[in-house]
Amino acid sequence: MKSDQALIQLNDVSFHYIVEKKKELSVLHHISLNIFPGEYVAIIGHNGSGKSTLSKLFNGILKPSAGDVVVNGWNTKNSQLIRDIRQQVGIVFQNPDNQLIATTVEDDVAFGLENILVPAEEMESRINQALRTVGLTGMNKRAPHHLSGGQKQRLAIAGIIAMKPKCIIFDEATSMLDTYGRKEIVKVMRRLNNDGVALVTVTHYMSEVVEADRVIVIEKGKIITQGTPREVFRQKQLLQSIGLDVPIANHVAEMVHQKYQPFSSNLIDAGEVVEEVKHFTTGGVSV
Amino acid sequence: MTSRFELTRNITIGQYIPTGSVIHQFEASLKLLSFAILVVGIAICSSYTGNLILLAFSIALFGIARIPIHYGISGIKPALPFMIILSLMQLLFYGQAAQGETTLFQFGFILITTSSVQLVIVSAMRFIEIILVSSVLTLSTSTTEMTHGLEHLLKPLKYIKFPVYEFSLIITIAIRFVPTFAMEMEKLMKAQASRGAEFGTGKWWQIVRKTKDTFPLIIPLFSSAMERAEDLILAMESRCYTPGLKRTSYRQYKIALRDFLLLIITTLFSIFIVFYKFTY
Amino acid sequence: MSEEKIIEIKNLEYIYMQHTPLEHQALSGINMEVNRGECIAIIGHTGSGKSTLIQHLNGLMQPQKGKIIVDGEDLSDSNVDLKALRRKVGLVFQNPESQIFEHLIGDEVAYGPFKLGLPLNEVRKRVKWAMEMVGLSFNEMKDRPTYALSGGQKRKVALAGVLALKPEILVLDEPTAGLDPYSKNELLEKIKKLNREEKITVIFISHNLEEVSFLAHRLYVLANGKNLVDGTPNDLFSNKEILEKYKIGTPDSVDILYKLKDAGFSINPRLFDVSCVAAQIFSILSTYQRRVTDDISV
Ligand SMILES: Nc1ncnc2c1ncn2[C@@H]1O[C@H](COP(=O)(O)OP(=O)(O)OP(=O)(O)O)[C@@H](O)[C@H]1O
Ligand SMILES: Nc1ncnc2c1ncn2[C@@H]1O[C@H](COP(=O)(O)OP(=O)(O)OP(=O)(O)O)[C@@H](O)[C@H]1O
Ligand SMILES: [Mg+2]
Ligand SMILES: [Mg+2]
Repeated sequence: MKSDQALIQLNDVSFHYIVEKKKELSVLHHISLNIFPGEYVAIIGHNGSGKSTLSKLFNGILKPSAGDVVVNGWNTKNSQLIRDIRQQVGIVFQNPDNQLIATTVEDDVAFGLENILVPAEEMESRINQALRTVGLTGMNKRAPHHLSGGQKQRLAIAGIIAMKPKCIIFDEATSMLDTYGRKEIVKVMRRLNNDGVALVTVTHYMSEVVEADRVIVIEKGKIITQGTPREVFRQKQLLQSIGLDVPIANHVAEMVHQKYQPFSSNLIDAGEVVEEVKHFTTGGVSV
Repeated sequence: MTSRFELTRNITIGQYIPTGSVIHQFEASLKLLSFAILVVGIAICSSYTGNLILLAFSIALFGIARIPIHYGISGIKPALPFMIILSLMQLLFYGQAAQGETTLFQFGFILITTSSVQLVIVSAMRFIEIILVSSVLTLSTSTTEMTHGLEHLLKPLKYIKFPVYEFSLIITIAIRFVPTFAMEMEKLMKAQASRGAEFGTGKWWQIVRKTKDTFPLIIPLFSSAMERAEDLILAMESRCYTPGLKRTSYRQYKIALRDFLLLIITTLFSIFIVFYKFTY
Repeated sequence: MSEEKIIEIKNLEYIYMQHTPLEHQALSGINMEVNRGECIAIIGHTGSGKSTLIQHLNGLMQPQKGKIIVDGEDLSDSNVDLKALRRKVGLVFQNPESQIFEHLIGDEVAYGPFKLGLPLNEVRKRVKWAMEMVGLSFNEMKDRPTYALSGGQKRKVALAGVLALKPEILVLDEPTAGLDPYSKNELLEKIKKLNREEKITVIFISHNLEEVSFLAHRLYVLANGKNLVDGTPNDLFSNKEILEKYKIGTPDSVDILYKLKDAGFSINPRLFDVSCVAAQIFSILSTYQRRVTDDISV
C-alpha cells in the first residue's frame, strides 16, 4: 500500500515552547521522519515525552522552531497553504467535548466542508457517507452533547473524514472511553486504513499499538527506536527502561517460552498465542 | 433535596430544543430582527397595562414554541437576587419631588413616590419579559441558524470591511458556551470543595458568606474558560477554519412570506405598545 | 480488613435536572456496603451512573431518595458537618486535569493541606510526599506553571492534590486513564500499598479490568443506575454471560483464555493472572507432549 513519495516529511525538526517571559522549554530535538500514504503508524512514549507536540506539528498547528515539516510537498511554515495542508491531514483529539462545534450532528460534520468550499449540493452525500463510515447513520439531527462518549468521538472522526484527508492523526483518541467505546474506535480506524487513509495514532494502550504497520518510540523528544510492532516489542528491556511495556500476550508467550523453549517468545496478540498453541498440539506432529 | 452544585439546571441560554414549532421554522435573520424590535418595545414601554400585555405575550410565546415554561422560569431564578437589589435601590433613591407626584414616604434623602413605585414594578416586569423572550429565541434557534442569521443581517457592513462571519461566529460560540461555562464552574466548585473550600456548606440565608466564597473561583474560571476556548480553536483550525477566508454554506436559507409577516406584525405590535396611551 | 462497615448505601436514587424537561434518572436504586480497609472497584459502561454515585460519598451531592451512611453519619441529615466529611473522604474526579485552578504546580498540590490549617513545614512535607507518590519530581516540577504540562502530567498533579489531604477513604474516578504504562503501574502499586499497609479504604472506578483484578477485593457492576452484580474479580471474569450482557470488555489475559477455550482446549478462566495463563498453556502443551511420547512408545 505504501508508495515511495512521503506524505508527511519531518526534516531535522526541533521545537520549544515559550513558558513565562521568554523561558524556553525544549521539547523535541532533531526529529526526522516520514509518513507514507496508506501507512498505519503508532507513536508511543511516556507522559511528557513530546507525542502531542509532535502530532500538532504534522498539520501546522505548531510550527517547528528549527527544521521543516513538509506535507504533500507544502511547507507548513507557508501560511498561504495552511488550509490545503489541514485538508490533507486531520487531527482527532483526546477530549470529544472540546471538538464539537455545532448543535446538530450534521451541522458539525458540515463545518469542515464549508471551510474547504464544498458546494452545498455535494455536502449532504458527503455528510451521510462520513456518518456511515463511523456508524452514526440516521443520527443527523441529534444534538452532539446528548451522545455517549464513544459516539461523540466517532462524530469528531466523521467531521474529519468528510473532508477526505489523506492522513488522520489520533492523539489519545480512545483514552477517555470505556473498553467498548475503545473497540468501536479501533474498528473505525481499521476500516479507514483499509480504505487507504494513512493513520498516525498516539496511544498508551499496547494492544492498540499491535494494529499498526510501524511503531515509533519517543523518549525525551527524540526517536529512540522504530520498526514493526514485532521488532519493537522484541526490545522489551529498552521499552521497560523508559516507562513503556509490551502487550499482555507477549508477557504470556515469554513465560511459556522460558519453560518450553520451542514456543515462540515473540508473539504480540491473543490470536497469535492461540495459533502457536495449536501449532504445537495439532499441526506439527500427526501420529 | 437536590445537589448542592447543580448550576447547569438553571441555565437556559445556549440550549436548543428542537420541537419543530412555527417559531422554530422562521428564518433566522428576520427572527433576530423581530426579536430586536420587540426588545426595544419592551425597554421603552413604561405603562402597567402595556407591560402586562407584554408579559402575557412572552408567556404565550412559550406555548407557541411548544417549549415548557420551566425553562423560562429557571432562567429568571439566578437573576433574582440582582433584580431585588436593583429594585430596592430604585425604590429608595429614585424618587423625585416633581409636580403631580404623590409622596408616599419620606425620611432624610429617601423619598418614595407613586412614580418611583411604578418604575420599580415596571423595571422588574421588563426584566422578566426580556429574559423570557430571549430564552424563547435561543431555545428555538440552533447555533448554526443563529450564526447565519446574524451574518445575513450584518451583511451590509461587509462593504466597510467588517469581518461579518467572524463576528457572528464569535457571538454564537459565546452563546453556546454559556452552559459549558456553567458546567465548568460547577466542576471547579466541586473540586475546590472536595479539597477543603467552603462551598455548599453554608445555609441559604448566609448570602454574604456564599458570595464571598465564590471570589476564589473567578480567576480559575477564566483560565479554564480560556483553555476551553483554546481547545475549541484548535479543533476548528484543524478542520480548516481560517478567519477571513471564503466559506460555503450547507444550509440554504430562504426567506418566505411568513417571515416578513412575522417582522411586520412584531413591529406593529411594538409600536402599539409603546405609543398607545394606556390609562395606567 | 475488619468487618466494620464504613460506607453503607441503601436504595439510592438520583435524578439530574429534576422537574425540568431534561430530567434524567442517573441512579435508580443503588445498594452497596464497604468495610473499613477494603478496596472496592466500580465498573459499568459509559453513562451507567458511576461518577454520579461516587460524588455522593463526600457530600457533593445529597441523596434525593435512599440513604448513605459514611462512618456512622447519615448524609441525608442536613446538619452533617460537610467539611469534616470531605476531610475524611478524598475524591479525585474524572478528568481532573480540567479542574486545576492554581497557577503553579506546588500551590495546586498545597491547596488542600493549607485549607486544613496545617503549619507550613508540614504542608511542604505533604506536597513533597504527594508529588512523589504520583511520580512527579518535587524539585523539578513544583515551580512549573500548571498549563505547561502534558495531559498525563496534569492528571498526576490533580491526583497529588487529593493525596496530600491524606484522607481515610480515597475515592478515585478512573485514576489511570491517560497515564503511560510505567506511571500506571507505579500508581497502582502505591494505591495498593496505601490500602493494604496503611489501611486506607479505597473505592475506584475503572474501565481497565487488569487493574481491577490487581487492586480490588470486591467489585460492583453498574448498569442503568443500578448495581446488578457484585463479587470478587474472579467471580466476574469467569462469567462470560455477565461480561457480555453488561458490555464489559475482558482483560487481555482473559481474552487469551477464552480464545483457547473456543479452540477446544480446556482451561480455567478463574486463573487469569499472567503467570497463571502461562502455566495453563504450559500444562496444555505438556499433556499433549506426553500423549505424543506415549503414542510413540506404544
Ligand atoms: N502549552 C505548553 N506550554 C509549555 N510547555 C508545554 C505545553 N504543552 C506541553 N508542554 C511541555 O512539553 C512536554 C511535552 O508535552 P506533550 O504534551 O507533547 O507530551 P505527551 O508525550 O503528549 O505526553 P502525554 O502522554 O502525557 O500526553 C512536556 O514536558 C510538557 O511539560
Ligand atoms: N450534570 C448533568 N446533567 C444532566 N445529566 C447528567 C449530568 N451528569 C451526568 N448526566 C447523565 O447521567 C447519566 C450518568 O452519568 P455518569 O457521569 O454518572 O456516568 P458514568 O457511569 O460515570 O459514565 P462514564 O463511564 O462515561 O464516565 C448519564 O446518562 C449522563 O448523561
Ligand atoms: Mg499528549
Ligand atoms: Mg464517569
